Amino acid sequence: MSDTAPRNPVSAPQMLADALLRSVAGTTALLRVTGANSDTSQSEVGLLATNFAEVTISPVVMRKLRPNWQEGNESKWELLVSATGVQQQVDALSLQSAQSLFAMTLAVTVAGQDYLIESIGANEAFGQVYLYRLLMRESRL
Amino acid sequence: MQNAKDSFYMALRTRLAVINPGRTILLRGAVRPGILVEEAEAPFSQLPNDVYVLRWLGLGVDVNLASTMSAEQCEIIYQTCGSQSYGGLDRGRALSEMDEELTAMLQPFYTPKLNYTTTTPAAMLTNVFWDEPGFGPVVIQRDRLTRSANVTIYSYQEQGE
Repeated sequence: MSDTAPRNPVSAPQMLADALLRSVAGTTALLRVTGANSDTSQSEVGLLATNFAEVTISPVVMRKLRPNWQEGNESKWELLVSATGVQQQVDALSLQSAQSLFAMTLAVTVAGQDYLIESIGANEAFGQVYLYRLLMRESRL
Repeated sequence: MQNAKDSFYMALRTRLAVINPGRTILLRGAVRPGILVEEAEAPFSQLPNDVYVLRWLGLGVDVNLASTMSAEQCEIIYQTCGSQSYGGLDRGRALSEMDEELTAMLQPFYTPKLNYTTTTPAAMLTNVFWDEPGFGPVVIQRDRLTRSANVTIYSYQEQGE
C-alpha cells in the first residue's frame, strides 16, 4: 500500500532497511537477466541459449517460509532485497523501473542455489520503496 | 518431430504478426508477436494475458506407412481480462477477438517444414499439416476468461530427423 502522507521524501527508511539487512547477515543475490537483442527465431523455440548477464544485488536476506510442504513441490523462500541495491542496478542498466528489472529476471541465485520468482511485493514509507520482497521457490535445474 | 513443432510455431507467429500486429508481448527484454511456446520460456507462475501460449501434449506415431508419420497434440491457451479503459467489461469481446484471430492464424492448415537448427532456416521436403481446432469451453476465473484450443499437427519423418 502506498504511503500518501504529505511529508517530504527522505532516504531514512531505505538506510534503516539496508542497515537491518546487513545486521542480520545480509548477503548477495545474483539476478540472471536476459541480454539485449536476444530475440531470434532460434531463441524463441529453445534452440539458441539466450545471452545472460548476472546482476549483483546486496544486501539481501533469505527467509524460509513456514513449511507447507506437499509431495513434488519445492520449498518456498522469501528474499528481502534492499531497494537501494535494486535502484543502483536499475540505473546501471538504464531501465525504467525495478519492475522492468524483475520482469527480465529468469532466476535468482543465492549461495549457489537457483530460485524462480513467484511474485514480487514492495514495502513503502514516505512514498518510497525501501524493501522488495520476492517470493521464490527452488529451481529444479 | 521437433522440426514440425518449430515450423508450426513459426507459422503461427508469422501469421499473427500480419493478422494483428498490435498483439505483442515483452518477453526477455524483446517485443515480439503475442505467441510463445511454454516449454521454451522460463516457467510462468501465471500465464500472461492476451497472448497465445502453445503447450505440447500428446504424441502418436504411425510406422505402418512408407514414411513414419507423427501426430502431436498442441494445446493453445489464451486468456484475457479485457482492457483497462473499459474496466474489463469488454473481456468477452476480447476473447471473441482472440478466437477469431486463432482461427485465422491456423489457415491454411499447413506450412512448409523447416529446420531451425541452422542460422538460416533450411527448407525440408515435406509440409507440416494440421486439422481444425477443437475449441474448449470458456473457463471463468473471477475477471479472467480462459479458453484453450486443441490442434493435432501431423508430419512425416524425413531423413536425418
